[in-house]
Amino acid sequence: MSEGRLVQRRVAGRGPVRSMNSRVTGRSHAAASAARWDTAIGSVGAALIVGLVTAVVAGRAMRRPIDRLPADRAALKVRDGAAILGASVLADSAMEHLRGGFYNPAMFAAPVTAAAVLSASVAEPDPRERTFAHGAHAAGAAVGATGLAFHLYDVGRRPGGASWQNFFYAAPIGAPGALLLAGLFGLASERIVAIEHLERHPRERLRIARLLAACSGLALLFESAEVALLHFRGAFHDPAMWLPVTVPPAAGLALLHHAARPSLHRDRLARLLTGTTGILGVVGTGFHVYGVGRHMGGWRNWRQNVLAGPPTPAPSSFWGLALIGLASLDLLAAEGLPR
Amino acid sequence: MSETFLAPYPDYDVLAKWDTPSWNEQTREVMAHRLREVPGRRFFDEEEWAVLVAVCERVVPQPERAEPVPIAPWIDAALFEGRGTGTHFATLPSGPEAWRRGLESIDREARARHGCGFAALDATRRDDILEAVDAGDVDAAIWRDLPARTFFRHLLLEQIVALYYVHPDAQSEIGFGGPASPRGYVRLGPDRLDEWEAPAAAKRP
Amino acid sequence: MRAPVGVWATEAEQRPRATDGRAPDVFSRDGHVPMRQFEDGEDVDFAIVGTGCGGGVLAAKLAEAGLSVVAFDAGPFWRPLADFASDEREQDKVYWLDERLSDGDDPIELGSNNSGRCVGGSTVHFQMVALRFRPEWFAARSRLGYAVDWPVDWRTMWRYYAEVEDALKISGPVSYPWGPDRGRYPYRAHEVNAAGLVLARGAEALGVPWAATPLATVSAPRGKSPPCVYRGFCKIGCSTNAKQSVLVTYIPRALAAGAEIRDLAMVGRIESAGDGRVTGVHYHRDGQWRFQRARNVVVSGYSIETPRLLLNSATDRFPDGLANGSGTVGRYLMVHSNHAVWARFEEEIRWYKGPPSMAVCEHWNYVDDHPTKDFDGGYAFMSQGPLPVDFAKALVSNTGTFGTALRNRMAEYNHMAGLKIVGETMPQAENRVTLDEETDALGLRRARVTFSYADNDKRLFRHSLGFMKRMIEAAGGFDAYETSSTAHLMGGCRMGHSPEDSVTDADGRTWDVPNLWICDGSLMPTAGGVNPSMTILANAARIADRMKALAARGELAARHA
Repeated sequence: MSEGRLVQRRVAGRGPVRSMNSRVTGRSHAAASAARWDTAIGSVGAALIVGLVTAVVAGRAMRRPIDRLPADRAALKVRDGAAILGASVLADSAMEHLRGGFYNPAMFAAPVTAAAVLSASVAEPDPRERTFAHGAHAAGAAVGATGLAFHLYDVGRRPGGASWQNFFYAAPIGAPGALLLAGLFGLASERIVAIEHLERHPRERLRIARLLAACSGLALLFESAEVALLHFRGAFHDPAMWLPVTVPPAAGLALLHHAARPSLHRDRLARLLTGTTGILGVVGTGFHVYGVGRHMGGWRNWRQNVLAGPPTPAPSSFWGLALIGLASLDLLAAEGLPR
Repeated sequence: MSETFLAPYPDYDVLAKWDTPSWNEQTREVMAHRLREVPGRRFFDEEEWAVLVAVCERVVPQPERAEPVPIAPWIDAALFEGRGTGTHFATLPSGPEAWRRGLESIDREARARHGCGFAALDATRRDDILEAVDAGDVDAAIWRDLPARTFFRHLLLEQIVALYYVHPDAQSEIGFGGPASPRGYVRLGPDRLDEWEAPAAAKRP
Repeated sequence: MRAPVGVWATEAEQRPRATDGRAPDVFSRDGHVPMRQFEDGEDVDFAIVGTGCGGGVLAAKLAEAGLSVVAFDAGPFWRPLADFASDEREQDKVYWLDERLSDGDDPIELGSNNSGRCVGGSTVHFQMVALRFRPEWFAARSRLGYAVDWPVDWRTMWRYYAEVEDALKISGPVSYPWGPDRGRYPYRAHEVNAAGLVLARGAEALGVPWAATPLATVSAPRGKSPPCVYRGFCKIGCSTNAKQSVLVTYIPRALAAGAEIRDLAMVGRIESAGDGRVTGVHYHRDGQWRFQRARNVVVSGYSIETPRLLLNSATDRFPDGLANGSGTVGRYLMVHSNHAVWARFEEEIRWYKGPPSMAVCEHWNYVDDHPTKDFDGGYAFMSQGPLPVDFAKALVSNTGTFGTALRNRMAEYNHMAGLKIVGETMPQAENRVTLDEETDALGLRRARVTFSYADNDKRLFRHSLGFMKRMIEAAGGFDAYETSSTAHLMGGCRMGHSPEDSVTDADGRTWDVPNLWICDGSLMPTAGGVNPSMTILANAARIADRMKALAARGELAARHA
């Protein structure tokens, strides 16, 4: 018996009891390294928020408080839409590229440009070309287009090539498209402001309005395709996941139809569907926040689930696109609609 | 022996995640039990125990650790508690009996070769004997019907590594992620890490 | 009372949890769901022994058809969220650790290798690989010229594969490269991890197809199951319920439909009457032997416990064991050869992330005429992600490495990748389960498992080792080495076309005893070159439908017939 106790004491002496007490019950070590990781993600998050706020403040400061003509008001609406798109891309690309570990420095281009687009879109529309806003919008479009090409390349270079698996999990094809759109619509807003100067060319005004409606319709179809791909990846496990692959494309088609042959009746339909799409964009964000919470560990495990769960910033891009679609409807209506 | 252990992740410690979502309550309890409640000897007698401890020291040498990962106490505890593995190879006696006879045979092998017990040998001689046991190059009069290699690999080595690599220190040294629930991992590709994984190892020579 | 294996939630190992009209709610940390209960003396329609791929499915489907069902399991009733730790040793508590004698020229490892012991059976620890048999394997003798034909047509099985894949919401690729069309998997495949991409790269280099492995863990939320978080501890029990085990799929269905589940209830003997019919089961629960009366008894204890129970139920009338007129009870036991090639890579693979086998190659299951193919049957192989202990055990048991060399080899853990087969073995009469003289703690004779590879089996795994070595090196691996092992159990009470050489008919009804049935992996006449769980589940779903049809026609003793 004494033998056993001896051994026990010896084992206990050699055992990890002492180290346990310092390493495990003393939380400083764990807390320190946890803090180190939190700093990494936290700083990206903080940079994101600071970027957003700065962009909005800087952009707003560039808007002039003046009476608005219909075209001006429409242009502002387009810019609000582009700004929301830009904000969505800023947050989404920052998160997705964080998930990709920013392993390629070019991945910083997306959030930085998106912030510039956001800032430019909040600014006062200005038809001149040598402005910051014009440059930022053009840059957004260019970086978006480049990103599109790069993401396609990423799909192609993986084992499996152009397969469902890679469309699901390689760099998402649709995401840079949103940046491209934000830039393009920002540029479009500058053209719309120029409409004032086209008073004597009503055909040209009508042409621009129809073009905008058609483009916003196409953009909605494009976005819906990406949502369809990702919701297919999620197996449409919640019936609500069908909403953003039915309503926005319907709105897109209605906009296209109206652009082709404008009429009061088509305006009403397009307005209803596009407006609903905008609401879906906001509601969808709520769904995605709920979705993140459904992942294992919920929001307590946010550092995994924010990246692995449904992308919270993504649905708001529908809100932005819907605003642009509505602006195009306003412009068309200003030209007078046949029954 | 000349070979030294090259620690690829010297600054990584899975225990640092104790208070993070990588560890849940039950895992903390299980690990605390393993770290704090190392059992005493109950199954083996003193001689067998000395051989077992000496064998464990050579199977998993831990010269760099002030507090080596305990292994022998857990083997003793499992045998004392009658914890099975599900498999009783027909060529071996039942678990407890196989352990006693195997350790005794290793010790007698040492006495036959060097005139003293296994625990009293230096590291090189201990290793030579274990290598001979693995090769089956042993004295048939000592081992009789006990198949040396089966005992060595399927009982002795398997149980020792099973107890070593469930210890946080061993998991840290190989850069394993350690306990992971509720939090798992996001980045699954080659050379891609989550912030809560061991930082990439320096390239080995 | 047996000593608990774990140190956490030990009460689940010591006291039954499914009692007092309620059973554990597997989706909660400590909740319950209501459970219907039956008296021992009540003649229930079905007493089912085992709650895994066979018994679990049967309990759910029969109860849903309005039949009265009591299902027994020797093991505990876990609540994974609260009970399962991220620890390889603690989680030994999900395995069958009672000693069984392993004999033969190539004795197999049991326990954690292939035998579960808890409600939900081996699906609680399975690695979730959800593959279908190649259609021709159901007619191996007539179509491919080896082994025997199943008494079931592949098209029937194809329908039931679809049924069980939907029940487990298998996450699989949109298009699967091998075999006839299988419809769309209910959920999309998971992102393939670095270990799986090694297989993908190698396959593309060698010009053979590969696929993301269809897995029984969800890639999106499903009811109360969150999507997989890629924690990588699948093999020792999923603590998030992302894994679609029988424990979290069919068992809740069975309970909701009015089946009773009795955990920690070891059935030791099936009682038979003078007329040759069985009357119920003797089971040990809460420290005492009890007897449950039943109109039908179904044995679903898997390839070792099923024959063991039939053999242990011998009577004067059936001296060689129940349903053993053919002498095939316990025979034609099969495993899968589980040989592997491992290699180091420049990059960090970190295979501990994600389910262990995220990429699969079934090429050699579907190739018949190839100059190098010198064997019957086939093999699939998959990427690997062993946990540290699992990997270390394979390393030391195959190479004998120890000392600092061992620690240095293990330090390459994050740079390792591996390819491992599920290799078909031939059914051989001499590979079998018999009873040993020695008894267990309950006084029941232990099983003795005898296994030896056939020459064909050896040709098969040698072929696979050569092919996988080429592939892993083509993917950039170096310092490759091989290991051997086995996985899975199949056969032992095979179904067949005639009472001369099989234990049951196509419905799982034993030829000798009209109200004694078998429903689990032991029915499988051949092993195939894929993981067996989906085949066992599909076969069980099919048998359940057959039982329902027979009951409706009055050809099966049931109150609600």
